[in-house]
Amino acid sequence: MADLARAYPALLRAGLLQAMAYRAQVVLWLLTSLFPLIMLGAWLSVEREVGAVAGYDAAGFVSYYVTAAVVNHFTVVSASWDWDHDIRTGELSVKLLKPLDPFHIHLTGHLGYKALIGALLLPAITVLAVALPALHYPIRPGVWVIVAAAVASGFLLNLIMASAFAMLAFWSTQVGNLYQIWWGVGFFLSGWIAPLELFPAWFRAVARVLPFRSSLAFPVELALGRLDRLAVAEGFLVTLAWTAAFGAAYRLLWRRGLRHYEAVGS
Amino acid sequence: MNRADRPGARTYLRLLGIFYRNSLAEELEYRVNFWANVTLSLFWLVWAAAGARVFFSFTGSVAGWTYHQLLVVMGLFFAMNGLRQAIVAPNLGKMSDYIRLGTLDYLLTKPVDSQFLVSLRHLGIYNWADLLLGFGLAGYGLVRSGSAPGPGELALFAVLIAAAVLLLYSLGFVLQTLTIFAVASEGADDLLRGVLEAGRFPVSFYGGFVRGALTVVVPVAFLTTYPAEALLGRARWTTAALAAAVAAAAFFASAAFWRFSLRYYVGASS
Repeated sequence: MADLARAYPALLRAGLLQAMAYRAQVVLWLLTSLFPLIMLGAWLSVEREVGAVAGYDAAGFVSYYVTAAVVNHFTVVSASWDWDHDIRTGELSVKLLKPLDPFHIHLTGHLGYKALIGALLLPAITVLAVALPALHYPIRPGVWVIVAAAVASGFLLNLIMASAFAMLAFWSTQVGNLYQIWWGVGFFLSGWIAPLELFPAWFRAVARVLPFRSSLAFPVELALGRLDRLAVAEGFLVTLAWTAAFGAAYRLLWRRGLRHYEAVGS
Repeated sequence: MNRADRPGARTYLRLLGIFYRNSLAEELEYRVNFWANVTLSLFWLVWAAAGARVFFSFTGSVAGWTYHQLLVVMGLFFAMNGLRQAIVAPNLGKMSDYIRLGTLDYLLTKPVDSQFLVSLRHLGIYNWADLLLGFGLAGYGLVRSGSAPGPGELALFAVLIAAAVLLLYSLGFVLQTLTIFAVASEGADDLLRGVLEAGRFPVSFYGGFVRGALTVVVPVAFLTTYPAEALLGRARWTTAALAAAVAAAAFFASAAFWRFSLRYYVGASS
């Protein structure tokens, strides 16, 4: 544990430097995530024709999708592809030489990118919130701490979930595709396609107990002041439970997979 | 080189045949991947159709489009996206290496058109499934929305879809040419995908200035909306003529930009 504490500052610095080296790509990546804005445009057309739907008026949709686009940049992870690549190409061997679980290298690498994205996005969203009357956050300033905690825990859950999935790469070459389908289903259940309130009641009930909402709709609804205390507590509890479950799965599969990997590699 | 030595259209077709047989042979080595890709394509197709369904639980039509009419647009979006992945992306992805490793020097000395070589040399075989699935979805949407295009509509559609393909190719080729200055082409494909992404829905879905920007700045409407309108019997010949003119202009502009940019290419070996 003490070794890990010593290694972290260096790892974090490496993660940030790596992100800085590819900063042009980060900007491009920010520009290309158009999907929420496309969905927003379509919902605004619906709203113009039939009025507010499920409590979302024009301003509600603008607030939801803009916030969702921002939150997504903080919680999205590429870990399943990174791990898959390392395991398939054998690059994992290099990481194994370091005296710590490669999970920490993936975590700090991601944090570097998140820091850079935060430096670009947070000023932008602040300006937008002041300039656009439609973009409205009714919560007290103190609640932003809870929103930040929700975003951070959603990110951590995503990273651990992706890592646990990626461990299957020790046995199969199709993990990237499998995770794509898992994540594609998650696009509905996380609130990425549309606010969960717009789906039928049974769908919302399912989404509430699955791990996808934690990294998107939960922080977004929190920031938009749509959740009461009980719902907030429930959201954190679900996130925590899934993080623990995927964490345990990761540890187990990592140990088993590593034995398998050594057997294949040697 | 003499005019008489210039290779003709037949040579180019023969070369395309050789290139694509080569690409096919390369990719058929991995059959599991082929089926995995088809499964994924099918998954994303159903995903997109189900996602659009959400709008229609609140209203019968959005901006004058019913659900099944919307499926025609989404099917064409899928097909165009498949074409992007099959033709534009593989060549765009190689461009960075051509510049960095100096392969372009070598390609420029070949006795065929350099634009032809850099933009059509490679072909993604897997993504032809997207093309078929996309047209399948568009056909399903057509049947379910009760429109049966006659010969006139089909002729209009043929013109508009040909213009759309040429336009997509030209946009991709401009991005590829920009690699000469930027060297890194990794993000270029993402950018094109982002632009095309707006063609998932008809342009009338987007209000006000967004619609104007999408047609004028980035001619997304020409890629999916107008061809779909032709199938649904809503397009006019003036639209088709405009689309053909825009596509031809884009093609010649991209070719001119390539020749212009080559003057600034210094080569890796010099």
